[in-house]
Amino acid sequence: MSNATATADSDAGVMTLANLANFPEGRKVFSCMQCGTCAATCPYGDEMGFPPRAIITMLEAGLIEEVFASPGLLNCVTCYACMAKCPRGIKLTEVLLPLVKEQVFTRLKEVPAELQKALENTMRYGNPMGESPRKRALWAKSSPVPVPVISEIKRPVDVLWFVECYPAYHPRGNDANRATAKLFKALGIDFAILGNEEKCAGECARLVGETGLFDMLTDSNVKLLRKYQFKRIVTGGAHAYDAFKRKYPAAGFDFEVHHSTPFFAQHLARIKPKLTKKLDYTVTYHDACALGRHNGFYDEPRALLAAIPGVKLVEMTHSGVNSICCGGGGGGMWLDTYYAAKGYERLSERRVKEALDTGANALAVSCPYEVSRFEDALKVVGGDKRMVVRDVVELLAEAMED
Amino acid sequence: MANIKATEQPRIGVYICHCGHNIAATIDVAAVAKFAEKLPGVALARDYKYMCSAPGQDLIQSDIEGHKLNRVVVASCSPLLHEHTFRNATEKGGINPFLFQMVNIREHNSWVHTDRAIATEKAKAQVQGAIRRVAGHSALETKRVPIHPDVLVVGGGIAGIHAAMTLANAGKKVYLVEREPSIGGHMAKFDKTFPTLDCAACILTPKMSSVGSHPNITLWSYSEVAKVDGFVGNYTVQVKRKPRYINEDLCTGCQECISSCVFKEPKFPDEFNERLGKRRPVYIPFAQATPQVVLIDPEVCLNFKRQKGPNGEPVVGDKCKKTCVEACGENKAIDFTQKEEIKEIQVGTVIVATGFKTFDATRVPYFGYGKYPNVYTSLEVERLVNASGPTGGHVVLRDGKEPKTIAIAHCIGSRDENTNRHCSRVCCMYSLKLAHLLKEHTGAEIYNFYIDMRTPGKGFEEFYQSVAAEGVHFVRGKIADVYPEAGGTGKLIVQAEDTLLGRVRKQPVDMVVLAVGLEPQADAQDVRRMFNMSCGSEGFFLERHPKLAPVSTFTDGVFIAGACQSPKDIPDTVAQAGAAAAEAMALIDKGHVEQEPNTAFIIEDECSGCKSCVPLCPYTAITFDEAKKKAVINEALCKGCGTCVASCPSGSIKQNLFEDGEIFAEIEGVLAQV
Ligand SMILES: Cc1cc2nc3c(=O)[nH]c(=O)nc-3n(C[C@H](O)[C@H](O)[C@H](O)COP(=O)(O)OP(=O)(O)OC[C@H]3O[C@@H](n4cnc5c(N)ncnc54)[C@H](O)[C@@H]3O)c2cc1C
Ligand code: SF4
Ligand code: SF4
Repeated sequence: MSNATATADSDAGVMTLANLANFPEGRKVFSCMQCGTCAATCPYGDEMGFPPRAIITMLEAGLIEEVFASPGLLNCVTCYACMAKCPRGIKLTEVLLPLVKEQVFTRLKEVPAELQKALENTMRYGNPMGESPRKRALWAKSSPVPVPVISEIKRPVDVLWFVECYPAYHPRGNDANRATAKLFKALGIDFAILGNEEKCAGECARLVGETGLFDMLTDSNVKLLRKYQFKRIVTGGAHAYDAFKRKYPAAGFDFEVHHSTPFFAQHLARIKPKLTKKLDYTVTYHDACALGRHNGFYDEPRALLAAIPGVKLVEMTHSGVNSICCGGGGGGMWLDTYYAAKGYERLSERRVKEALDTGANALAVSCPYEVSRFEDALKVVGGDKRMVVRDVVELLAEAMED
Repeated sequence: MANIKATEQPRIGVYICHCGHNIAATIDVAAVAKFAEKLPGVALARDYKYMCSAPGQDLIQSDIEGHKLNRVVVASCSPLLHEHTFRNATEKGGINPFLFQMVNIREHNSWVHTDRAIATEKAKAQVQGAIRRVAGHSALETKRVPIHPDVLVVGGGIAGIHAAMTLANAGKKVYLVEREPSIGGHMAKFDKTFPTLDCAACILTPKMSSVGSHPNITLWSYSEVAKVDGFVGNYTVQVKRKPRYINEDLCTGCQECISSCVFKEPKFPDEFNERLGKRRPVYIPFAQATPQVVLIDPEVCLNFKRQKGPNGEPVVGDKCKKTCVEACGENKAIDFTQKEEIKEIQVGTVIVATGFKTFDATRVPYFGYGKYPNVYTSLEVERLVNASGPTGGHVVLRDGKEPKTIAIAHCIGSRDENTNRHCSRVCCMYSLKLAHLLKEHTGAEIYNFYIDMRTPGKGFEEFYQSVAAEGVHFVRGKIADVYPEAGGTGKLIVQAEDTLLGRVRKQPVDMVVLAVGLEPQADAQDVRRMFNMSCGSEGFFLERHPKLAPVSTFTDGVFIAGACQSPKDIPDTVAQAGAAAAEAMALIDKGHVEQEPNTAFIIEDECSGCKSCVPLCPYTAITFDEAKKKAVINEALCKGCGTCVASCPSGSIKQNLFEDGEIFAEIEGVLAQV
């Protein structure tokens, strides 16, 4: 039924809402003390109808069907905020919410059109935009640094670079790709991409409760990766990284995997001397949920940014573990129209307002969703003249003389 | 060493206890007794409902007399609980108490098994082991070691103060060692105390000055325990006395030096006021400080160099005009050459009362402490509402304005798996107290954000009721976020779900008070090691038994009292301090301790003089006799751990109650057919 994994006592089978008590992580759900921290920290806590606290009470009271019948959980952007702060240490975003969301989706009269389309596209084309799979590596032609495709060079490489959909197709994602390629080259790293064979890592499908689609993508990507020889995988996709690290192992994925930001931070000593161009930016960094709260990479991106000459770092009111989601997670990427129709504030707008308040003129990110989301939001709130949005790798590449 | 070998043929009495249903429900006790009866050396075997009851003990006694028993086995609960009871009964019957062996068929058997047949078989095997073992037991004598009547009390909070005063009033000599320049602990910082709102200073100050002047109390403030050796009744303790650059005997407490310091204005953060106020380099922590002796802070005093000596010690210079010395005049109490001093004392018992520290609120960044100036800890607010505090009792924010709305955030660093799992027990109550005091001082609207209100003490619920009736607001929900209100209003928004309404509240306030929880002291692990104690999972010192020995530790003669054992309020702290003092007195007045005769001894003829045992003994009980070329065990120091016995290459160390013959007989008995 679900892919929410947790170690079972023994032979407990697959976890469902009915057999939670057979799993240590499931039992923990019932230790909830109804403190409301989850609802109070949730970016959509007021709009959710049944925030995690209420879901647990309804479950205990045998009224969970009422929760399934409400579309409230569509607002969950899988930002891990509730889970990070829950004083009982309940794995809300990992264990409880996926099980509930899955049920909410099956009872939904109509899946919001934009999301429906994205899921269909992913199924059919291997990317949510519905672009042709044959164009997935097209961006590489415009890269100043040659970007080899592993099936073409036919030899083992050090780094297999998993590009992911947004970077592969979105023009702003392409920019970050070119920067990443430049950094690999500068470090003398032997790398290659999967090219047109690569498919969406599927994390967002999983997070909206489409576990079937996720399983399909997982299998196909694992099979593909098995064909080639490489030492490690590096990806710029924060969600892809998270899925590789936490969910893919269940499908036999056993490769070393890094997100590009912490990966480059590991090589900071060698990158630093190459950062010779002074940039005139006051930068504020947005912690991506999948990278920060879920995997603890708070210091790495900041260390990279601080190494750039001329860059002054400032923090937003909400940062680190308290960062506010860009609204793109858990399918939020394709729910903007739905949220707008309901009259909810777009989280990306809430976020850029906070970024503007710092007085910074650059908003640095390390998740591919965010560049386009924030650029768009800046236009809406009228801040696009005052602030640019840059992936951390873009800023690094910019500070390197060609 | 008394090691009388019993020579007669064994006549063993075996007793199988039902322990009500605890044992009898799982083990066929009658069958075990029947089995035992037939074993060699057994004169009689019985099962009985409660062996530890008076009739049960009488049974052993009368059987010894009536059936000429010379050995006893009791199969019942843990020896920790009743070994002593049955040894006594054996002795009363007229035979040596060590011709006795106890078998644990409860914790080791009935409580952990469900299959009656198998449990019964196991009980038979256990009993058979004990029967074979006891047959080889020798009569032994318990040693008596005198107890040194003096007591060391570590920590001069209300726990240490009360324990020291109780003992001193009973005529015992007490050394009270306090790390800070004054005793008083946390209580000295409070204005009022819940639930009665009595003035903390009014009830504490008299006790503090009594400690300072009591003929039976040696008060060493600004001091720490450096080393502890010995065992119950006979501890040798080294106390490190930090230099305060003032001769305590000469200082009259006139404080002329302070007002005449070259620093005309107080300039340095004042620790006692939670750094909300300022002090000079020469200072006294607070008006009622005990002892009434000033001290000089070499970190900021101009007469010290801004560099450290080879051992990190301050180096005196000669830069300052030393107006303080002038002001001190004929008293000549100021001594810049004072050095750290080590005092060695002998005591028989120790009471550890080192208290707690409050949770460091910067560990959870989203409460905004250290980031937004108007977020305070509860301890800071205790100083703000205090008439002798940094603002003279005027509750004003850092910018001098009086707050009109205040949020009190409960459970900060308590009941949280990310910080501390335990409930800190006093925060609900002190939050009520602070709500009342803040309202009284400012008339502000006050919002208490809580998860559960915990007011179980005497008069506590009534206090809650009256504070609520004063119009303090209670919001059921934990604060999850604190951030500035938009538009630069200077207010903070506290965000919490009002779980009773099911709505997220974003309450604008002028001031946030974090009800920080209670944690073990930062050096609790060092103190634990020094006194050979244990700590529970939260890091507080562990009592020997949570119900029946709440102030004892696993080290005989070392007791604990107050918040170092777990978070607690002043009434409970004082009760524990009294209990610890009584426990210490019980030992002292008995005059001696009995020591288990399970000590190791050396068969001198067989000792090859290899010395391998000497460095291994954790209690330094083994020395080497250079003349005889033999190792010597000091029986008084030996704790019976057996390390040397196992290590001796020539097998020439033996241990009473654990001789090879005894142990092998037991193993064979357990493994033999049942
Ligand atoms: C904000 C706040 C408000 C409170 N209000 C109330 C109230 O109104 N009513 C109430 O009943 N309770 C109140 N309490 C609880 C109260 O503080 C405790 O019950 C009490 O302080 C416990 O006393 P103690 O002596 O065990 O510990 P402490 O007061 O912590 O004293 C311990 C002493 O030991 C010393 N020490 C520590 N380590 C060493 C060492 N290694 N060597 C030598 N000395 C050492 C310390 O310097 C200190 O002087 C409050 C607590 C807080 C945090
Ligand atoms: S934060 Fe955790 S404990 Fe609190 S209400 Fe939510 S799920 Fe329950
Ligand atoms: S994961 Fe984020 S969006 Fe989802 S319920 Fe938790 S806090 Fe809300």
